[in-house]
Amino acid sequence: MSGGDKQGIMKAGVGVYFCSCGTNISENIDIDELVRFTSTLDTVEYVKSHNLLCSEEGKNYLAEDIIKQKPDRVVIAACTPKEHEKTFRNVLQKAGLNPYLFQMVNLREQVAWATSDKSSATEKAKSYIRAAVARVALQEPLEEREIDCNTDVLVIGAGPAGMEAALLLAKAGRKVYLVEKNSFIGGRVARYEEVFPKMECASCMMEPKMDEVLHHENIELLTCSEVQEVLGFLGNFVVRVRKKAGYVDKNKCIGCGACYDQCPVTVKNEFDYNLSDRKAIHVPYTGALPNVPVIDCMSCLRFEGRSDVYKQALDQGLITKREYETFKAEDCRLCKEACLFDAINYEDKDEVIEREVGGIVVATGFELFDPSVLPQFGYGVYPEVYTSLEFERILSQTGPTCGKLLMKDGREPESVAIIHCVGSRDKDFKDYCSGVCCLYALKFARLVEKHAPSVKVYDFYADWCVPGKDNQAFLDSIKKWKNIKFIHTTLPMNVPVKKRNGKLSLACTDVSNGKHVVSADMVVLCPAMVPAKDTARLSELLLIARGKEGFFAEGHTKLAPVSTNMEGIFIAGCSQGPKDIQGSVAQAAAAAGEVLSALVPGRKLKLDVLTAEIDENACAECRICIGLCPYNAIVLDKEKNVAVVNTVLCKGCGTCVAACPSGSARSRHFTTEQIFAEIEGVLK
Amino acid sequence: MCTGRIDPQFVLKAFEKGADGVLILGCHPGDCHYREGNYNALRRFHLLKKMLDQFGIEDGRFRLDWVSASEAEKFVGVINDMVKKVKALGPLKPAPPLPLSKKKGRGDIQAEAHG
Repeated sequence: MSGGDKQGIMKAGVGVYFCSCGTNISENIDIDELVRFTSTLDTVEYVKSHNLLCSEEGKNYLAEDIIKQKPDRVVIAACTPKEHEKTFRNVLQKAGLNPYLFQMVNLREQVAWATSDKSSATEKAKSYIRAAVARVALQEPLEEREIDCNTDVLVIGAGPAGMEAALLLAKAGRKVYLVEKNSFIGGRVARYEEVFPKMECASCMMEPKMDEVLHHENIELLTCSEVQEVLGFLGNFVVRVRKKAGYVDKNKCIGCGACYDQCPVTVKNEFDYNLSDRKAIHVPYTGALPNVPVIDCMSCLRFEGRSDVYKQALDQGLITKREYETFKAEDCRLCKEACLFDAINYEDKDEVIEREVGGIVVATGFELFDPSVLPQFGYGVYPEVYTSLEFERILSQTGPTCGKLLMKDGREPESVAIIHCVGSRDKDFKDYCSGVCCLYALKFARLVEKHAPSVKVYDFYADWCVPGKDNQAFLDSIKKWKNIKFIHTTLPMNVPVKKRNGKLSLACTDVSNGKHVVSADMVVLCPAMVPAKDTARLSELLLIARGKEGFFAEGHTKLAPVSTNMEGIFIAGCSQGPKDIQGSVAQAAAAAGEVLSALVPGRKLKLDVLTAEIDENACAECRICIGLCPYNAIVLDKEKNVAVVNTVLCKGCGTCVAACPSGSARSRHFTTEQIFAEIEGVLK
Repeated sequence: MCTGRIDPQFVLKAFEKGADGVLILGCHPGDCHYREGNYNALRRFHLLKKMLDQFGIEDGRFRLDWVSASEAEKFVGVINDMVKKVKALGPLKPAPPLPLSKKKGRGDIQAEAHG
């Protein structure tokens, strides 16, 4: 405690105001007795009471009275500071008194409403008043601070949510950096043929959006890119993005495809979940945007010494012996020679791009729960057991069967079984419902009907989750199809898939105790949606929290669904939790709105006033505070050998203050001396 | 401010000034408004509890619990339970002299702890 503050105690002329809150407070506390008691306290200059201080009349009275009485400090005994601390601080400011030379006593919630006996309540109120009067004498005037902010935005992930957020922000005139780890945009939806419930063509829906994203002058699209480092805070982030070498110059390439026709290397196409093949230089599917192929350096002969792949190509007759001899020295140049536009550059290197932004929207999507950990379904054992995303590709015109419903042996199936809730709603796996599986299962049924009307569909479900204004009608319409049979089981997880007579066989007991044995050529599993692989890494990078299911945690389930614990970082789409396209796009629009409201060009950002500070004369450079700070707000000043608080990052939690062994860390407005005075005041 | 701000001296000061019990309520672990301050509070709590035990301050007089803003029922339950336990213990009594130093009472040791 400095000497200056002690002088402060001597000088503090405290004005105390009691509010009766109508009768809320006065009914259960003897205000006259409190006024009498408070007048006897040493530093109190005057005591007043009012019927309703938060009313317009009350606020005017308070301001005028403060101007007239000229107190050094003010105590207001009324309701919870949650409700009106800000109100009264504003009144003080108007009356020319620093708003932090003010302490509020919660007589309503903590005393009048909580203590039933009037005389005990009055006694309790006295101890609170004593504490506030003791504390306010030590309070210091604090000034609000403002800083400039950058209004550009980083959007991570170019699926439906990321694209929507990027477009809305770009249309509002913001510069947007849209980072996508794949070579294409559109996210998972790029893999779908049609979307529920209106069976809209997915590419017809998405392509105009994708086109807009590609051509918007305010959007800088960074494909094959990953965010590597994020520093800073709302309004002032610095991000570093690693853009991986794609070896094709997007400014020269016209997307003709001559290069991949010539490529001698064939590998599995991960875009189709390995159900089709691609070349080392490739686009993931016909129509992918941007329409620029990339070289996968893990399989290209020029990189990583892939001569084994080259030998395979020879064995499969894809190249001649002469070609093999020529190119096995890892000097294959077939794609470069095929390119008429000189777009291929083998010397391309990864680059790290640095950008400054004010806000970040994270829309990194989802993956599926891996059903191979559930041996009862035979996924990965029987070739005709598929996940829902694999089945999306089979039904897609750009997929491995060009949209024909065919099995791996090229035959059309006679029957397809769909199993809901794989890994979902089960406490041993994922205990939540993903909320979209019932609907895409119905979509699958409709698409099967469209592709091959004679195929039988068996749908093993537990409960129908079809909320919303269109979805029940969708379910009802599918129920009318004669070739579909719904089997209502308590737990689809208990429907084992076995091989019998060359077909897959599924046996179960339904909820009415009826036995079912179904034979199917194809089985489609509907696994739970889980966070995308990168979620944990990004959570550490951005310092944003995740919930117990691993998705990014929203600020408040109802009232802040796209905020995070970090100001200026927002979440949208399935990175926040399982949802459909409509929900993802709505969240993206919400996140864009949050960014637009938080960062306005030309407007400065108000900073937290109640932060920590470190007295450089007392700091012993032990660095305990640096390790404890949850916001990385404390750094070591290497010249002065002291810890320094970045008051822009500091949120005022006070963890460093409680830990500081030398007492050099202080919490503004919550100093140890102020809190001691409060404790002593209560207990005197 | 956060439970992470709670300096063990605050608790000692309260006992010194005559509190019969001290109850700290914070956000649930993993759900801290300030990310991880409550974990630091938990560590300090366990250490301080050992110290209070040596001062002769009974177990029921010092408690840390987690209550979120939406848990009205739990809040009331914890407060009532604490009050019941502290009432059963009665007012804070001076501790019997410690075996190592006959002259030192609880107040002396606390005074030293405050420095």
